[in-house]
Amino acid sequence: MMPLEVKGEFKRRDDNGLSSSQVGGVQMAEVEVDRDTGVVRMKKFVMVQDMGLVINPKTAKSQMYGAAIMGIAYALFEQRLLDPVTGVFLNAEIADYKLPRLGDIGEIVVEIYEPDSEYNRGVVGLGEPPVISPGATISNAVCNALGVRVPVLPMTPKRVLEALVKARKA
Amino acid sequence: MKAFEYAAPTHTGGVLELLSDDAEQVALLAGGTDLVPLMGKMIITPRRVVNIMNVAGLRGIEADSLTVTIGAVTTLDELFEAPELADFPAIRQAIHGINSDTLRSQGTLGGELLQRPQCWYFRGGNGLLADSGRRVVQGDNRYHAIFANAGPAKFVSPSRIAPALIAVGAQVRIVGPSEQEETVLPVEALFRAPRDGRQREHAIEPNQLLTHILLPRAPRMANATYEVRLTAGPDFPLASAAAALQIENGIVRAANIVLGHVAPTPWVSYAASQMLLGQSVNLDTATAAGEAAVRDATPLSENAYKVQLASVAVRRAILRAAGQDTGGIDL
Repeated sequence: MMPLEVKGEFKRRDDNGLSSSQVGGVQMAEVEVDRDTGVVRMKKFVMVQDMGLVINPKTAKSQMYGAAIMGIAYALFEQRLLDPVTGVFLNAEIADYKLPRLGDIGEIVVEIYEPDSEYNRGVVGLGEPPVISPGATISNAVCNALGVRVPVLPMTPKRVLEALVKARKA
Repeated sequence: MKAFEYAAPTHTGGVLELLSDDAEQVALLAGGTDLVPLMGKMIITPRRVVNIMNVAGLRGIEADSLTVTIGAVTTLDELFEAPELADFPAIRQAIHGINSDTLRSQGTLGGELLQRPQCWYFRGGNGLLADSGRRVVQGDNRYHAIFANAGPAKFVSPSRIAPALIAVGAQVRIVGPSEQEETVLPVEALFRAPRDGRQREHAIEPNQLLTHILLPRAPRMANATYEVRLTAGPDFPLASAAAALQIENGIVRAANIVLGHVAPTPWVSYAASQMLLGQSVNLDTATAAGEAAVRDATPLSENAYKVQLASVAVRRAILRAAGQDTGGIDL
């Protein structure tokens, strides 16, 4: 078997600053909100993401699915609760630490955005960018559904109902 | 886990011989879904563990013309599948809500009723009453009781099936201290809010054994359970209610409304039942019953939202029992 030796070089393009740090994306969420219980249910989440040149579309999309689920988790469920008196971590057990299950994430659609203009920027990166926006996306969808902003994540039934009560009093 | 003695008797008499007058000394093991994790965290440290899964006559379902008799270690899946449960959708819906194959195939009905509270101060090692309730009052009480919480017990009764059992008029059979001593109690009387560290959250003495759950054969009451759940997973509900209604010519002649996860015991609401008597079931009457159910709620600092959830759970359980659309999101 012939050994394969490849030499390569990557030069950061300092001229536009895009290749190492800037990516763009758009996210959309469709939710249902139960005004009586404050329960929010994800119907559909759509994520379009630019990451420059895509080397492995399959794992890139997988990363995006992960970001969507992680985003739904922190938008609606995940919370590290500390006892206000002692500082003890109250919900360290999986029984108390709320995570979405299969039935909680709805339909997820991911699309890679890779026109020539982005492709030509070379490899940029994907790890973190798509998980930044879901909180805002889902919060906007909940606000659109209720006509009331739930100002803090995660948007639990407690917070949704408190926001509705506050709006009714105002 | 602390070392312990283990026994697996095959007869009720053998179990009773191994029990103690001191609840701390002996633990009964059935499905183990609650006991084993509690022992692992040393929240419970019994000297002796008595496995009751092999005890003759404690597992399975039998029915005669008057009563459906369910052995205490019948698994929740066995119960869910049983044709004898056809008249008890409230029980089936409560089991369905558990959303965990493990808990349903391994957990038992007796264990489900007698599981320990989920209160995170209890499970964090502060004792069931957690400094006579002060830890809960000063701490994070978002999941705690909104009724009967003036005493030291602020936790909520964890059983998801008990409200349904109470609504349909179920009873429990308790044996001990000797095999000849048998007590039959309505399920409602099984639970109590402990007033001090020596009392348990149920009425079974440490030297007694819960052997059977008894259902009336023909309940003649339409029944249903509604749980407000945060996720589609096995999380405990934020609030729940079971309703059993006797409806004749469209008019409610009898009603049992029982709330879950709102008090240290399952919470029977006579006020809600009263609102329904002589009425037809519709959105207005069900809503009025839900409002009546929570009129005397006394929420803690962080759980006022549960008052609303409990009210909605009652309304929706009533509508579901009457075969009507509950509205809202049902996970």
